[in-house]
Order: sequence, then structure tokens, then C-alpha cells
Amino acid sequence: MTVLRLLKHSGSWLLLWAAAHAAASTATDHGLEHILDEASGAEIMRAVQERHQLYPHVYEEQVMVLQDRLGHRDTRRLRRFTRVEEDGSVRFLLLFDAPEDVMGVALLAVRNASGETRQSFYLPALGPDFIESSERSSQGSFLGSDFTVENLTGEVLADHLYVRRRDERIVGQPYYRIDVYRAGVEPATSSPLRAHFILQDSLFIARTDHFDDLGRVERRQTHHDLVPVGAGVWRPNLVRMDNLRDGHKSYLRIERRIFSADLVPPERFTAQWILANQPPLARVVAAVEDES
Amino acid sequence: MISWLFLLGVRNQASTLFVLVLITLAAASGIGRLQVDTSFDSLIPANDPARAVYQRIANEFGSDNRTLIYVRDDALWTPEKLASLEALQRGLRQVPHVERVDGLFNLRTVEGRRGRVDAQLLVDGVPETREGALLARDRALANPLYRYNFFSPDGRVTALIVSLEDIEEIPDASARVHDGIERLLDRHRGDFERVFQVGPPRISVELTRSLFSDMLLLGPLAALVLIGAILLFMRSPMAAILPLVTSSLAVVWTLGMLGWAGVPLNILSAMIPALIIVIGSTEDTHIIAAYFRGLAEGAEDVRLDAVRYMARHMGLPLILTVMTTALGFAANLFSNIGMIQDFAIASTFAMVANGVITLLLVPMLLVKFGSLRPPESFEEERRHGLPRRIVRLFRVSQDRFPTNTLAVTAALCVFFIWQASNLYVTNDPLSYFPADRPLIQDTRRVADDLAGVKFFYIALEGDHDRAFQEPANVTRLAEIQRFIQRQGAFDASLSIADHLAFVHREFGGQFAELALPETRQLVAQYLLFFHRGDLEQYVSHDYRRANIVVRHNINDSYTLNAHIRELEDVIDHIAAPDLRVVITGENLLVNRAAESLMLGQVQALGLLLGLIFLVMSAMFTSFKGGAIALIPAVIPIALMFGIMGLLRIPLNPGTAMVAVIAVGIAIDGTIHLLARYNELCRRTSDYVGAVHQAVEEEATPLIVSSLALALGFGVLLFSNFTVVAQFGALAAATMLFSILANLLITPIVMARVRLVGLYQILAISVNKEVLQQSPLFAGMSEYQRRKAVLISETNDFASSECLVEQGTMGRSMYLILDGHADVVRRGEDGEKVLATLGPGDVFGEIGYIRAVERTADVRATGPVSALRFDYERMQKDLKFFPNIVAQLNFNISTILGERLADMVGTSATKS
Repeated sequence: MTVLRLLKHSGSWLLLWAAAHAAASTATDHGLEHILDEASGAEIMRAVQERHQLYPHVYEEQVMVLQDRLGHRDTRRLRRFTRVEEDGSVRFLLLFDAPEDVMGVALLAVRNASGETRQSFYLPALGPDFIESSERSSQGSFLGSDFTVENLTGEVLADHLYVRRRDERIVGQPYYRIDVYRAGVEPATSSPLRAHFILQDSLFIARTDHFDDLGRVERRQTHHDLVPVGAGVWRPNLVRMDNLRDGHKSYLRIERRIFSADLVPPERFTAQWILANQPPLARVVAAVEDES
Repeated sequence: MISWLFLLGVRNQASTLFVLVLITLAAASGIGRLQVDTSFDSLIPANDPARAVYQRIANEFGSDNRTLIYVRDDALWTPEKLASLEALQRGLRQVPHVERVDGLFNLRTVEGRRGRVDAQLLVDGVPETREGALLARDRALANPLYRYNFFSPDGRVTALIVSLEDIEEIPDASARVHDGIERLLDRHRGDFERVFQVGPPRISVELTRSLFSDMLLLGPLAALVLIGAILLFMRSPMAAILPLVTSSLAVVWTLGMLGWAGVPLNILSAMIPALIIVIGSTEDTHIIAAYFRGLAEGAEDVRLDAVRYMARHMGLPLILTVMTTALGFAANLFSNIGMIQDFAIASTFAMVANGVITLLLVPMLLVKFGSLRPPESFEEERRHGLPRRIVRLFRVSQDRFPTNTLAVTAALCVFFIWQASNLYVTNDPLSYFPADRPLIQDTRRVADDLAGVKFFYIALEGDHDRAFQEPANVTRLAEIQRFIQRQGAFDASLSIADHLAFVHREFGGQFAELALPETRQLVAQYLLFFHRGDLEQYVSHDYRRANIVVRHNINDSYTLNAHIRELEDVIDHIAAPDLRVVITGENLLVNRAAESLMLGQVQALGLLLGLIFLVMSAMFTSFKGGAIALIPAVIPIALMFGIMGLLRIPLNPGTAMVAVIAVGIAIDGTIHLLARYNELCRRTSDYVGAVHQAVEEEATPLIVSSLALALGFGVLLFSNFTVVAQFGALAAATMLFSILANLLITPIVMARVRLVGLYQILAISVNKEVLQQSPLFAGMSEYQRRKAVLISETNDFASSECLVEQGTMGRSMYLILDGHADVVRRGEDGEKVLATLGPGDVFGEIGYIRAVERTADVRATGPVSALRFDYERMQKDLKFFPNIVAQLNFNISTILGERLADMVGTSATKS
């Protein structure tokens, strides 16, 4: 019921987390490709969304690994809280637990029902103030990684135009290829923002190529280690972003995922709760101590 | 042996020609394989340990190999201009091998105001309004990280920084990048007041194109100058054509060898065709002059006899001069700079090849096509031309003021050596181009409006991970940068300290000044706002190492190295004790290599002079000979270094080679002079006269070849490269100095010595038994006997010719080597043969000891060859060859003693 309401109101939230790597072990629906043979890009994207609709309340413990062009790695531990309200607004909180010097850093993003996003930062070392940041900042790199905030929060279907291209076969697997354009542009004369490669048998977005303004692949996002999280719903436990221009790689591994409204109550997405609960939980502190 | 070699081509014309054609064809087929090396790598010593350090640091913090696109317009911040700039930035990304382009449209900034901080693009697309454009300008100029690096403070100039893929191993990639960018810029030149590119691709392309332009220009120009000079002085078209033939073949051989051996052409080796033509011609000039002299002595087969004469007189000097010239070029192998080493290989081979070709081909061509008589004007020129006038002028000094001349020369040398103390070194690639070249002017313009296009790194390493998240260490970076600013030598510096100070200001809002965050946690938290790509040039992944990127526009190594040394001292003080520091950069390594130029120069010059001294000492069986041979080599070098100091001409890869090359060439004239003087000394006891004659005979080829060399080197002034032009000018001046040294100083010194050549000792053809059995040579070794023969004069007499005439005064004593002579006394009662002398007999010893009238004639009864020992000459030679002359005098007194004893014995018997 909640999911239906969500679709009705936001209709557009497609968290790319939901796009999963379709390994051989994934669930398949053998008749699906025939149904979608004549489908448009938008219809396929809607089918993807319907197939892998998200749970509204998610708590995740994550490890982000940043790898530079020389292969050096930098690891961060974080917790992520996501809550989708009935009116379609989404709240998103990211808390840093390690390394020690960035412990307590918080990124809070709120997208209201009309699609407007507000985000703010909390830097414990700077003082007990939240610093507002504009929506444009969400298009930049996210806290040193090759992900943008937008990559992590999702793509709004209504804001984009989806054009189905010729199906592709990659390593023996058939894929739908959907080019994504900003809504309102003429695809014949514009470059796509990105291209989704969707496994035909499971409708998972296995790969997304992000293009630069010249139409060259700049970054490639892939999803791995798929786990079933419900009937026909899958989530990746590893998201990888390759920056093909700089040779950087960013990995996001989900170490723990819980779908529970109790873990993401509305007050968790407030400055008061964040300020009152930093430094973080004793468990996290202990983990940091173990590391050090 | 040497004559045999010289006449090899004459005796075996068909096979020699076949071999020459075969080698030439093989070489020609290698020319297509020629490679060009204009990389900065060739300017850095291969064994420089700092190279590995640089490579490690460049690998970690990124290469400094970037091209800068300079865009200037007073109305830059308007929607129209910015639209053009955006199109340009987009277009650049489509140029082959371009990895990324950084500029206004993809630069990110952090902007803080009233509790908000936005990390965003400086400008998100082309502004549609003038206000939007001005807002973008204000945002761009407010970011200290971009000031001078991307935008001039007044906002009229912006830069696009183009990073390239690793194209080092891809042939012609630099040219493709340069031309691609240039085509794009051509489309945008109308959009802006000024737009151009500066960076390694442009430098590489300009170096390569200038190099080929030099090769195409300098070779033919040198040939023209050579023909003109030879026609002017030798008055013989043949004398002008022969050097062109030999040098053309040598050019093909050399370029072919370079192609097959994989030795690349560089800006120095581009002048090799011109050098072969110019230097190779000097040998031809000398041997053609000898051929002309030989024509006068020819009998049946005029050409062949003249060539044989040439072989006898020029064989050894030719081989020696080829050797010394090649040694001069080979001495550059001691440089540890790749570009100079490659040039040394190419030029040494070229000189040897030219010598071999000359040795084999010129006698063959002369026998076939040589003139049958010397050009009258040649003799006229020799007697009354410029060389003769120079010789006469010099002779006044030599004869009247020899000591003063030597003293003035010595004083001049001291003055110039003192001036040489001002000498400084430089190796900066941009200094290879003349100052008025657009590339250099563009580079200056970038430096004036933004910051210099040259980079170096100050890399610091802490003793633990995250050392550069410690505020204390970040503060040290800022301290170093403050010193750099105070130093005033470098244009701009950027480090992680600047990034942190900027973000701190934007987050803090209330800070008017840039200040650094005070806690490690705040540093770490600010750093979250940068993408790794934004920081990897300034800090290592683990924050253990930090890097300050410094930009500058210093074009001479001397100044740069001095500032770097000062910087090192200060940084060591700031960094001590727990931070390790390395200052490095490709540009810095190249400039530091300048210091090895000086060391290489001293080593090469010392070794070459030592070698020449030893070779010449051996050749003239005397260390004095070796020392004399060095005089005309050392004087021009002293003057050359003095002029460099006086005119502030730097020691660079071009000028660093002048000394050794000039020594190798200048010594040629000396060898010819000494060899001729030696030869003449065998025929006369008038050594001063021999000096005069040797100088007169050698002056024309020496002056002609030196002037031709000076003019030929002068041609290099037309080179596109300053280093080559400076090399040419100095080499030309040195050649002119060598005329002065060879014709003014060498004769004064030469007249005071008597030399015997080792080759003469070895080549002497005398009856060994005659010498062994002669009492005159008693107690001498074979070597001493041969040397004694050479100290004497060898006289040949025809049948019936009088060796000694009764009633004349004479102070000479003779030893018959071959033939027979009668001792005939003329009296009132007619002539009476007193004795018949044969090989080994000595006569005239009384006259040698005491000036008395000859008491009888000595007449040859057939062809006679005799050694003549002149008293006065022997007295002179006593100081030059004391052991041999003393032994000779002792033997003469023994002979006289025995004669006296015989006479006393005979009288006693009679009585």
C-alpha cells in the first residue's frame, strides 16, 4: 500500500540502488522480453521501476573505498538512512563513522514532493552549525568520490526523456539500452546524459554509462553482489563507479541493510538529533578503536 | 704505408669505386629510418640519480606535461565571448590525444555566504546575460586557487589547460596534437583579441620543423660559401668541386649510419651536413694545394706524379688531421647529456667517413680529371694574395719583435682567461630559440599576464601517514610558499595549504584573510569537499607526502639554479627535522644538467689536449713537439672563452662543444706546418729560412681553410636555434684566432726547435749495414742512427758531380751512403786520384772541425747519395738532440784521432 502511494505521488523516484547486477543467479522472468519487445524507453524504465520498487525505510551500514589512478585506496565507513514519506518526499542522511578525523560528519538531503532538493552539511570540527548547500552542489562529486549525490539519491523519471536504442548483447546476455536525456531536449540534436543497460530477463539496470557533453563515456557505474530483498526485488551489495577519464574508482559496499521504519524515524533527519547523537554510537566508536 | 693507402684508390680504381658506391647505396637506404629526438629527456644526463626521483614524484603527483591555451580579450566576460570560449574548450577535448581540458567551464569552486556553502561549477553553461557573465567573472576572480593559474587578476586573460595522454612512445603524436589545436585556434582567432597555445607539443613541433629547416638551409648555404671561398683563394673550379663530392658522400654515409644505428637527429646534429662540407673541405684544400705543387715536379705522367707527390707530402698530415678532428668531435662523448652524445657519435663518424672518402676518392679523381698545370692565379695568389700579405705582416713581428709578440700574446691570453671567469652555464630548452621568435614572445606574454609556463615541484614527505593533515605541517607548506613569494623569483605556487585556506575562508565566512584550519579534524573534514582528482597533484593518497607546484618563467639555468639553491636552504630549515624535501621537475633537471656541461667541458678538453700532446710528442719524438702543437690550439680556446665571458654568451649544449671541436680543427694547420717545416729542415741548416718557407707554402691552404671554416661556421648564424648560431659564431671566431696562432705564434716557437718525426725515422730508407759499420755511428742504437741520419742533410749527386771542391772553405763532413767517389788532388802536375771512397766512408772531417781550405776534390764516379753533417747546424742541434750530437762529435774525434795516429805511424815508419 505504501509503495503504491509512493508511486502515485512521487511516481518518479527511481533509486539506482535498486538497479541490480543480473548475474546468472538472479531471478528471471522468461516471458518478459517478449512483452517489452515493442516497448518504448519510458515504458521499459517504468517496468524497471515497478519490478524493483523500493522499500520506503532503509538503514544501511556502508564502506566507501576510493581508489586513485595508482591503485592507492582510501576507506571510509558510513551509515545511511533513507525515508520516503507518504507524500513522496524523500529524506536521506549520511553519517561518517571513520576515519576518526571525519567521524560525525553528516550530509542531510531532503527532496520534497515537488522535486526540490535541500541539502546541508554538518562538520563537527567547525562547530554545531549545519551548513546549507544548493541543489547544484548535488551534481558535483560526492565527498571525494566519483559518485555524485544525484547518483546516490536517484533519477526522477519525470525529469528525463528515455529513448530506447538497439538492444545489445554483452557477454552473452541480452540488454535493453535506454539513453537518458534531460526532459525537453530534442534527442536527435542532443547528447544523452547517460545510458542504462538493463538485463532483459530480470529488468535490472546492470550498468550505467555517464557521458560527457561530447557524448564520450566519462564514468561507468556497475552493480554487483545482488541479493534478493523481497519477491522479485533485488539490491546490489556493491556499487562500483569507474572514472574512465581520471582512472579513479569508487566502490560502495553495503555491509548491513535493514528495511525498518523504526531505524529511520523522521526525527533522525533533523539537526537536533544529529547534533545530540554525535559522536556516533558506542558500537561505531569501538569499531574505530579496533581499526586504530 | 701511408702513401700506399693514399694511392689505394688510384691503383684499384674499379674495386674502390665499387666499394664506395656499395657503401653509399647501403647508407642511402638507411636515411628513411632516421628518427628525430626533440624530447627534453635528451637534455637530462642519463645517469642523473635525480631523474629517478623526479619520475617517482611525477608518477605520484602527475606529469607537468601540459599545454596552455592563452585567451585574451578586453570584453571576455560577455555572453558572446564566453560562448566562443565554451566552444573552444569543447573543441579542444576533441583534439586527438587530449585527455582533459580544464578551464572556466569545468572548474569547480566552493562558495560560502550567510551560512551556506556551495561546491559547484564556476559557471554552469554559457551565461545568457551580461550580468550572468560578470557574475561568473567575479566568482572566478574570487578564487585564489585559479588566480594566475587560470585567470589574470584583471580578468582580461584566461587559460585553458590541456592535459594529454601519454604520447611519448607514439610517433608524430606531438605534431598531431599541435596541429589539431592550431586548426581549432584558427577558427577562433577572430573571436578573441589574442589566442595561442604554449606547451610541449608546440615546443617539440617548432624544434622539429626548425631542425629540418636548418638542415635544408645550412648545408646548401655552407656549400655556396665554401665554393666562393675556394674560388676566391685557390682560383680553381676543381678545388671547389672535389670537396663538394666528398662531403656529399660523407653526408649520405652519416645520415645512413644514423638511420641504421637508431641514433636520432637533434637540433645539434642538424648542422652536421654543413659541418661536413665546411670541415671536410679543409683537408681537400690542403691536398689540392699539394697536388698543385706536385704538378711542378711531374715528369712523364704529370697527374700521377703530382698525386704521388701529394701522397708523399700529405699522406701523414691528412691521416693525423682527420684523426685530431674526429677526436675533437669524439671528446663530446664525455658529456653525459644525451643530445650532445648523439651529436658526438654522428659528427665523429662524419669526420672519419669524410677522411676515408677523401683518401680513396680524391687521388683517383685527380689522376683522372686533375688539372695538368696549377692555375696561374693560384701561384699569383700564393705570391701576392691575401695570405702572402698576412704572412709578410706577421713576419715583421716574428723577425723584429719575437719576444714582445709572445709577451703580448701571453698578456692577451691572461686577460681573456680572466674574462672567462664570468662564464655561466645554461641548458634551458626555451633559450635555444631566439628572443624574437613568436614562441618565446608568447611564453613571455603568458608569464606577464598569468604565471610562467614552466613548473617544478617541492615534494615534502612526513614520517607518518596523514602527516599533511596536521595543521603544523600544512603551516610549513604555507611558510615555504610565503618565502617563495618574498623571493620574487617565481611567479606562483600552489599547494594543499592554499586549498584548505580557501575552503576555510568560504566555510568560515567571517575570515577576511586566508587562514589555515587549526585542527587536524577540520583539515580532514574540509578535504571531504575536494575530489581526489583535485588534490592528487598536491598530496599523496595517504597524506604522507605533499607537493607544492611552482610556476616560473626563468630562462637561464644559472639564475634558476641560484634561486633553487637559496630555496633549498630555506626549505631545509623550515622542514627540519621531521620532513624530507625534494625539489624537482623536468625543467629543473634540464637546467641542473647545465652544471654538468661545465664539468664535461673540462673533462673533454683536458682529455683531448692530453691526447693531442701525447700523439704529437710521439709523432715528433719530443715532448717539445707535443707542447708546440698545443700552442695554436690553446690560444684560440683561451680567447674564445674570454669572449664568451666578455659578451655574456652562456655555456650551453652548443657553445660547450666549440672548444673541443676547435682544438681538433685548429691543430690541423699546426700539423701541416710542423710536417712541412720538418721536411724542409732535412734540406737546410737555415732553420729560420725553413720556417719562413714552410709558413709561405702552408699559409695559403691554412688561411683559405681557416677562412672557409670561419665562413662556414658563420653560416650557422642563420640557424633557427640560438645555441647553434652561438656555436657557429664562436667556432668562426676561433678559426680566425687559429690563423693568428698558427701563422704568428707557432713560427716564432717553431724556429727555436728542431723536430724529427717518428714517421720519418720509421720510413727512412738507408743501407743498415753501411750505418752499422760506419765509425761515425759507433756506439749508437738503430733508433739513434736513424735519428742522426734525419738530423743531417741527405744530398744526392750525379755522376762526375763534385761533392767537395779543392781550395774552397767548407765546414761540412760527409758519409757516403751509396755509390762511389774519387778523392782527386789537382796540382801543377795535373790531377791525381788519391783514393776511392765507397759506402760507409767518411770525408771532410777536417773542415768540419776547423775552417780550412779543402785539399782535394771529391767527385762522384756514379750516382752518389751522401749524408752531410754541417758544423754550424750540428752546433744548433746540440741543444735539440744533445745525446746524439754529442755521440756524433765523440765519434768524429775518434775518427780524427785514428787518422792522426795513422799519419804519425806512417811518418814514423817513413822516418
